[in-house]
Amino acid sequence: METQGEWKAWLMLVTAVLVSCGVVWGLARAVGLPIQYNLRNVVVRWRSSIATVLGIGAVVAVFVVLRAVARGIEANSGNTGDPVNVLIVRKGSQAESGSLVSRDQFQTLRFFEEIQRNEQGEPMASAEVMLVVNAPRRDGTGEANTLLRGVTPRGVDLRSQVRLTGGRWFEPGKREVVTAQRLAQRFDGFEIGGTIKAGPTQLRVVGQMEAGGSAFDSEVWMDADEARAIFDRDQYSSILVRPRDEESMAVLIGRVDADPRLSLRAERETEYYAKQTMTAKPIKVVAGLLGVAMSVGAVFAAMNTMYASVASRTREVGTLRVLGYSRTAVVICFLIEGACLSTLGGILGCAVARSTDGFSTGTLDFQSFAESVFQFRVTPDLMGMGLLFAVGIGVIGSLLPAIRAARIPVIAALKSI
Amino acid sequence: MTVTSFILKNALRNGRRAFLTVWSVAVSSALLVTLMTLERELTVPPEAAGASLRIIARNKVSLTQPLPAKQLGTIQAIPGIVTVTPFTYFGGLYGDEEFTSYPQFAVDPVGFEGMLVESKVSEGSFADWMKDRNTCLVGRDTMDRYGLKVGDPMKFRGTIYPCDLDLRVAAVFEGTVDDRGVFFHHKLLDELLGDPGTVGTWYLRAESAEVADDVIQRLNAAFANTAAEVRAESERAFQMGFVSMWGNVSQLIGSVNLVVVFTLALVTVSTMSMAVRERFRELAVLKALGFHRGELFGFILAEGFGLSCLGGLLGVVGAWAFWTGIDVGKLSGGVLVIFEVTLRNMALAGLVASVLGVVAAIGPAWTVNRMSVVEGLKTLD
Repeated sequence: METQGEWKAWLMLVTAVLVSCGVVWGLARAVGLPIQYNLRNVVVRWRSSIATVLGIGAVVAVFVVLRAVARGIEANSGNTGDPVNVLIVRKGSQAESGSLVSRDQFQTLRFFEEIQRNEQGEPMASAEVMLVVNAPRRDGTGEANTLLRGVTPRGVDLRSQVRLTGGRWFEPGKREVVTAQRLAQRFDGFEIGGTIKAGPTQLRVVGQMEAGGSAFDSEVWMDADEARAIFDRDQYSSILVRPRDEESMAVLIGRVDADPRLSLRAERETEYYAKQTMTAKPIKVVAGLLGVAMSVGAVFAAMNTMYASVASRTREVGTLRVLGYSRTAVVICFLIEGACLSTLGGILGCAVARSTDGFSTGTLDFQSFAESVFQFRVTPDLMGMGLLFAVGIGVIGSLLPAIRAARIPVIAALKSI
Repeated sequence: MTVTSFILKNALRNGRRAFLTVWSVAVSSALLVTLMTLERELTVPPEAAGASLRIIARNKVSLTQPLPAKQLGTIQAIPGIVTVTPFTYFGGLYGDEEFTSYPQFAVDPVGFEGMLVESKVSEGSFADWMKDRNTCLVGRDTMDRYGLKVGDPMKFRGTIYPCDLDLRVAAVFEGTVDDRGVFFHHKLLDELLGDPGTVGTWYLRAESAEVADDVIQRLNAAFANTAAEVRAESERAFQMGFVSMWGNVSQLIGSVNLVVVFTLALVTVSTMSMAVRERFRELAVLKALGFHRGELFGFILAEGFGLSCLGGLLGVVGAWAFWTGIDVGKLSGGVLVIFEVTLRNMALAGLVASVLGVVAAIGPAWTVNRMSVVEGLKTLD
């Protein structure tokens, strides 16, 4: 999923890192800091340097990976839908699976003149039903809910994201389904030729689809009316329509919302899904809390290393002062040394985190109450955040030790062994 | 100077380092306790008294698929069942809340008597609730959350069902595993929905633990090959199935735990090697004075072990005090309920910290072991 935009972001990230390193180096040289002395120190004291780098690396890796999980879940909903479609659900429902739309409501809505028609003159509207089916996981960790969507032929047409990757589309009335490829990797019997048991009903998998990393990648599709008959549902869950143009979309949304008989809510399909992010929220909170707690630990560890490093270099610092470097210069030098150490850690952590990019896994989606398949997404901006985080830890951790180094009296420093 | 005070003096001679080490170990141990508690919260549901007697029967298709209400007659005919009630999750939102964290269930009050809470009613009475179909039975935590009293109205907007509830609190229960639930009459729900003839699940109680398995089997068999096949299981099995839906989240927490332990190890190891390197000469002097290798090893070990034990203790106790003191339910928006910091998890985190203290001392002690006195005395810093 390396799109053009993503390449640009990578380029920007690398440029930003190189430029900021260059600027720090240039500035340091310009005002005459013994920067090489500090950088060489990182190498000379390799044992404690490695410990610090690894520690900060671990913290950054955890932070970035957790954010990548939240990103992956958000990407699912953020990627879903077509901006030219309108999704209609019951007012008050929180998810498509908890919404109810009657056949009468569908018949009324279907013939609204704002809705586009295809070549055969049929309105581009699809009444769909969302059901949850319990299925065994492939890895033997028990059963989980999967989302079954009953769609119509128009519903398939309306979703340009979804394409068939194997087999064929289902035929109504034959108990046939098409599963999402990513879901099929996680559930038993979801491969082409497999059978999904839904209570007494056996559904045969005749095709597989792929939906570009959207929520449809966690769904099983079959014919809507057949699904309603099998699962004894009188009503539909939602209606998806395509208005003629932007103008009629606004009119349609207003008309549906205002009609008291309908008691339905219409929204642009992409906007509807973008709001379904309840599942990602707690993960973000946990990532934030863990980030804070672990960074406190890391700051302590970095401080420890830098204090020790300063203490064992008392004489060297004294020498620097005798050579004419000011206190400020010494402080800045030690800060840069800490920042360098932690940047190395940050790069390491980001590299580790990056290796999990694209890792596919699943978790319970709070809104649909079914398993949602998602990929870890370690994006350039997340890695940029990780690096900033690392530098922050380094700078905060070395601030006090640096000040201590600068305060050492020259004479005493030179006398110490 | 005794050996103990010697070790103590050494450990604290660099106060700043001792402080930083202890606190970084403390933060890591607190984190470890928190993560283990989180994992427990997600994977081990609280066990209620009498859970082995209670059985939940849901539609085999999935939990969200309703069951026909007419199954009741068949169920009641199964021997070994004391009481049975429909048990339908309403999933409403309280007032204008966007997210309500506790469940509301529609039950049959007659069948519900003897299931869960009738002996725990502390205000109002179970009988009052049974009499009036527009009332509800509410858990103490939820009452306190909104500052409600018996007789107050309670309104819910339906998200799953196309109806709203306008209830009045008739009674309050407390002292169950989860004092948050709201229970109301199934008849009211049926009325609001125009009598659809369905229920969410069946909740029943077996006569004794011995017959419970038998009841489960009979239930499953009774509806096999009907349009609505049933999957009956013990309350415990049902809950475990529920938590397994979290998927790989618990594995994720497990790997974060490993990383935390790893950083913990790094911190203690590097601190100990710093502490030893700094006083290489002193250790050589001690050796020259006639101290054995074993004794030197003991000094270093005791110092590392002592510091990380202290850190571990602070972290573990701190985490316990923190999570016991704050309202986790409110903080997490109701996602986490109990968040019990168990003794086992505290002990485990403490053990990890102290073992790391020992491990951290081994490397530096080994170096000291091998150094010759002359070499050590020559070291400058």
